Amino acid sequence: MSHPRVDLIAGEARTAIAAARGASELEQARVRYLGRQGALTLLLRSLGTLAAGERPRVGAAANEAKRELEALLEARLAEARARERREARGRQRLDLTLPGRRPPRGSLHPLTLVRDRIVEIFAGLGFSVAEGQEIESDYNNFEALNIPRDHPARDMQDTFYFSEDTLLRTHTSPVQVRVMKAQPPPVRIIVPGRTYRRDVADATHSPVFHQVEGLAVDRNISMGDLKGTLALFAREMFGPGSSIRFRPSFFPFTEPSAEFDVGCFLCHGGGCRFCKQSGWLEIGGSGMVHPQVLKNVGYDPEEVTGWAFGMGIERIALLRYGIDDIRLLLENDLRFLGQFA
Amino acid sequence: MKILYGWVRELVDVTLTPEQAAERLIGAGTEVASVTRLAPAGLRGVVVGEIRAIERDLGESHGHRLLLCRVSTGREELSVVSGAPNTRVGVRAAFAPPGASLPGGRAIGMATIRGAPSQGMLCSERELGLGEEHESGLFELEPDARLGADLVAHLGLEDSVLEIEITPNRPDCLSILGIARELSALTGAPLREPAVALKESNEAAADLARARIDAPDLCARFTARVITNVTVGPSPAWLAVRLRAVGLRPISNVVDVTNYVLWELGHPLHAFDRDTVADHAIVVRRAARGERFTTLDGQERTLTEAMLVIADPRRAIGLAGVMGGANTEVGPRTTRVLLEAAWFDPACIRRTSRALGLRTDAAYRFERGADVEALPVAGARAAQLIADLAGGSVARGLIDVYPAPRPRRRVSLRMSRVRRVLGIAPRVAEAARILGGLGLPVTERGEELEVEVPGFRRDLVIEDDLVEEVIRVWGYDRIPSTVPGGVTGVVSQPRTLRQEAALRQALAGAGLSEIVATSFTDPVTDEALAGDGPLEPLPLLNPLSEDASLMRRHPLAGVLAAIATNARRQQPDVRIFEIGKTYGQHQADIVEPRWLAVAVTGARGPAAWYRAPEAADAYDAKGLAEHALAALGVTATEVATPEPAAAFEPDLHGVLVTPDGRGVVEFGEVSATVRERFGIDAPVFAALVGLDALLDHEPAPSRHQPLPRYPAVARDLAFLIGAGQPVTAAEIESALRAEAGPLLRDLTLFDVYRFPDGRRSLAWRLTFQAEDRTLTDDEVNTIQARVAERATAGFSIALRSR
Repeated sequence: MSHPRVDLIAGEARTAIAAARGASELEQARVRYLGRQGALTLLLRSLGTLAAGERPRVGAAANEAKRELEALLEARLAEARARERREARGRQRLDLTLPGRRPPRGSLHPLTLVRDRIVEIFAGLGFSVAEGQEIESDYNNFEALNIPRDHPARDMQDTFYFSEDTLLRTHTSPVQVRVMKAQPPPVRIIVPGRTYRRDVADATHSPVFHQVEGLAVDRNISMGDLKGTLALFAREMFGPGSSIRFRPSFFPFTEPSAEFDVGCFLCHGGGCRFCKQSGWLEIGGSGMVHPQVLKNVGYDPEEVTGWAFGMGIERIALLRYGIDDIRLLLENDLRFLGQFA
Repeated sequence: MKILYGWVRELVDVTLTPEQAAERLIGAGTEVASVTRLAPAGLRGVVVGEIRAIERDLGESHGHRLLLCRVSTGREELSVVSGAPNTRVGVRAAFAPPGASLPGGRAIGMATIRGAPSQGMLCSERELGLGEEHESGLFELEPDARLGADLVAHLGLEDSVLEIEITPNRPDCLSILGIARELSALTGAPLREPAVALKESNEAAADLARARIDAPDLCARFTARVITNVTVGPSPAWLAVRLRAVGLRPISNVVDVTNYVLWELGHPLHAFDRDTVADHAIVVRRAARGERFTTLDGQERTLTEAMLVIADPRRAIGLAGVMGGANTEVGPRTTRVLLEAAWFDPACIRRTSRALGLRTDAAYRFERGADVEALPVAGARAAQLIADLAGGSVARGLIDVYPAPRPRRRVSLRMSRVRRVLGIAPRVAEAARILGGLGLPVTERGEELEVEVPGFRRDLVIEDDLVEEVIRVWGYDRIPSTVPGGVTGVVSQPRTLRQEAALRQALAGAGLSEIVATSFTDPVTDEALAGDGPLEPLPLLNPLSEDASLMRRHPLAGVLAAIATNARRQQPDVRIFEIGKTYGQHQADIVEPRWLAVAVTGARGPAAWYRAPEAADAYDAKGLAEHALAALGVTATEVATPEPAAAFEPDLHGVLVTPDGRGVVEFGEVSATVRERFGIDAPVFAALVGLDALLDHEPAPSRHQPLPRYPAVARDLAFLIGAGQPVTAAEIESALRAEAGPLLRDLTLFDVYRFPDGRRSLAWRLTFQAEDRTLTDDEVNTIQARVAERATAGFSIALRSR
C-alpha cells in the first residue's frame, strides 16, 4: 500500500539514511523524519485534517513507512556503531595473545585429596567419620586390641613412647576401641588419621604417616560383607574395572584376617614395577573383629560380629599419582604440591 | 627364613614347582618373599675330577707352588696346572674342563702357564661361588664322589630356596616340617615326618647326667640326651651344603646337627660338652641379679633375675633359649655331648633377648612359642644324627623333666559359626578334612567339629581361629562379595570435618597451597617458638634423632619448615597453609589442639604483566585470617593491646578475638630470631587460628534481608593524622560508626596515604540509606558534619576534604 505523499517523504528519508556517515548523521536523519517534529511524524499527526476517505490510506501507508524506516535506521546504526568500534580499536588494538588476568590458584595436598576421596566413598555407604587421639595409651593401642606386652606381634609395629603407658598410636585401630566403648552396636565408622611408627625414613617408609580405618559391627555382619564393601570401594576409588583379592594374614585384633589387594590399575594385570609383576597391589589389612576385642569393649561376640580394615593413605597416594618417594609428601616443595588435583 | 625346597619335598610328596609351591603358600597366608635357585648363577659344566698324577713342578708364583697335574674326569685325562696347597694325588675335587663356566660368566678354556698347557681349572670354593674359602685350596669332594658327575647335581644344588616370612602367630612354619605340613594340607599329598631310628647303647643317660627345674613358671619342660664317644670334626658336604643354602655357617658336626634339626623340625637345641658340666647336673633357674655370664659369642653379659639360665651347681652354662655359654662349648676335644631340648616361656625369652640385644634363631622361635610336645622327637632325631655323623652312641633313655604336663586344648567349631563369620561354609566333612590335613585330630559331631590342638599349633585358641584355618585352606576366594544390610539412619559427619573442608576450600581458592608437615621438632626450635606458650613439651623416650625428639607445640613449625625448604630450592615466593595439630601437656592432660596456620613470604603473587611486583606484608596475613574466619562464618574484632608472643615481632603482631572471647587469631610478622633458626632470610607473615574454640561458632542459619527500595547516598571523609599521633584506624572507624547512627549502611576505608614527613591520610566512604524513604542531601549533610566533628575533635585530627 502506498500513497504519493508518504512515498515522497519515505524516499527522501531513505536517501538521507543511505547517505548518512556514522551514527550521528543517522541520528540526525532519524530526527528529521521520525523525530517529534519529523516529516513523517507531522504527516501522521495531520491525518485528522485529511478527507475521511483518504485518512485510512494515508495512515496505513505512513505507519508502514515508519516501521520500514525504523528498521532501516536500526540496522544502519548497528553497522555504523560496529564500524566505529572497529575503527577505535584499530588505533589501539589489544594483543589477545597476552596471558589472561588469572586469579591465584592454590592447591590441596595429595594426602588430603586421597583421604577426602576415601572418606567420601565410605560416607556414601553410610559410614560416619570418627577421630581419636594421636597420643594414645598402651592399652588402647595394643592391649585392648589383643596385643599383650612381650608379644612378638609388637615387632610388627615399632613404637614411639612418651612413657611406659603413653605412646604415639601405631595405627588408627585404637579409635575402634574408643568408639565401641562409647556407644552400643551397631557401629559403622571410617577413621582417617595420623599414625606413627619408629621407622627410619627412606623412599618407602616414613615415621609419620596416615591411615584410614573402617569398622562395621552389627548383628549379622560377615566377612563376605567386608569383601563386598571393599570391592565397592575399589571400584569407586580405582576405577570401575577394579577387582579385589583377599590373602590370609595375621593381625592380633582380627580373626580371620586378610590382606586385601586391588587388581593393578596401572598395568591392568599385565605386570609392572608397581605391582612387582604380580598384577596385584597390596592396599591394606582387614578381618573380622576378634571376639576378644569385642569382649574388651563390652560387646557380646555371640550377639554381634564385625569387621575392620585399614589402609595407608600414603601408599594409595604414591600409587595413584605415580610418586616414587614417600618423603616428597612431607617435604612440601611447591613444585610438588602444585601437581595434584 | 630360608627354606630349601628339595628338603621340604623329602617330607611331603608334592609335584609342584618351587614357584607353584610359593604361590600356594602365599594363598594360604605364608608370605614367600622370593624363590631363588640355589646354584650360583653362571656355574655350568663343572664336574667331579680326580688328580691322577703330579707330573711337573712349575715353580713358585705369588707364594704358591704351581704343579702340573693329570686330572681324570672318568672319561678323559687332561693336563691341568694347580697352585692350590691341597693339590695331591688321589684327591677328588671340583674341576672345570674347557667349555665350563664359573659364576660371573667366566668361561674356562685352554691356557698355557709357565710353558705348560693347562686344559681347564681345578677350583676353590670361592671360585665356584659356593662360599668364601680360597686360601685352603681346591674344593675337595668325598673320595667316593662319582667321577665326572656334574658338580651342581652332586652337591644337591639343583634346588631352590624359598625366603619365608611368617606372621608372629605361626612359629610352626619356621621349619621344613611346618612348610611341608602346610603343603600337605593344601594339596592333599601325604606328610612324611622324618623317621627317627634311635639305636641306644646300654649306658643309661640317667647315669651320665641329671636335670632339675627350679623355675617351672619359665621352663615348662627340660629334656636331654647324652651321646658318648663322639669325634668332633667337620660335617659332611651334603650337610654343609644344606646349612649354607639356608644361610647358616657350618661349624662342626655336632653343632651343625643341632642347627639342622632346628631348621628341619623347628625346635632349638643346644649341645653342651657334658664333661665340662660340673657334677653333670643341670639346674634351670633364674639368674641372680648382676650375675655375669659369657655367651658363646665371647661377650660377657650382666644378667637380671628376670632372666633364665641353664646352670650347673657352680655357675650358669647357658642363657636359656637364647645362647649357650663359652664355658661348656662343644669343641675338638669333646667326646660326650649333653643335648638339651627344652621349652621356655615366650615372654621371658623375648624380654631377655631384647634386654641383651641378642637376637638368635633360638630366641626368635622360643619367643613365638615352641612345641612342648616335640622335645623328645627333636632330641632323638638330633642324637641319632650326631651318632651317625660324629661316631659314638646314644645313651639309653631320655632325661625328661616335665613337672606339669600341658594338656592339649580342645576347641569346638560349629558350622553355623563358620557361616555366620564368613557368609559361606564348606560341608562339615570338608571342614573336617581340612583340619585333619593340618595335623589337627578332629572328631565330627553332626554340624560341629571337636578339634584337639597339638603342641605345634598353640595359636589355635578360639572357635574363630578354626574358622580361619578352614577358610584359608578352602580358599579366601570362596568368600562371597556381599554388602551389609540394615541402614542405620542418616549418618552425620563431625563438625570438625566440615570446618576443615570449608577452610581448605577457601584458602586453596585464594591461591594458597596446602602443606602437610611432620609432628616432630627439635627442642631448641620448639622452645624458641612455644617457650612462652601454655603447653609443656612432650619429649619422646626413643626418638629417631635429636631433630625429631619431641612433639611440636607451635603451629608455625610446619609452615616455617616448608618455607625454609622452598627458599633453599630457589622458591622465595611462598603462600601456604596447614591444618594440623600441636601437642603438649596442659596441667594433668595431654592435649592435641587443632590449628590453621597460614604463612606468606616473598612476592604477593606470581610476576605478571598486568601487575606491579609487590612484596607480601602483614596485611596479607591478616586478610587471609579474616578470609578464613569468613569462610567459617565467624566474626572477630581487634584486640587493642595484644600480649606479646615469642613467635611474632613485638610491634608487628595483632590479635583478633571472637565475641565470646574464646576464639583467638594471631597474625603478624614472624619473629626474625625464630625464622633465622629455620634459615629463612626474608620476612615471613603468618596467621594462626585455633580451630577447636571455633567449633562452637556454628553460625545461625542465615536470614534474608529485604533489598533496599530507596537509593543510597555515599560521602567520603578523609582525615589527616599528624606524625607520631598514636590514633589507629580501628579507633577512628568505631567513632565514625557510632556517630553515624542507624542510617549508615556501609563504612569502607578506601585510601591510606603516608606522607614522607610521617603524617597519615585515611579516607573512608560512608554509605547512607533509609528503608522507608529517599534521604535528602540536607539530612546526609547534617550526619556527615556530625561524624566529621566527632572524629576531628575526638582524636585531634584534621578533616582533609569534603
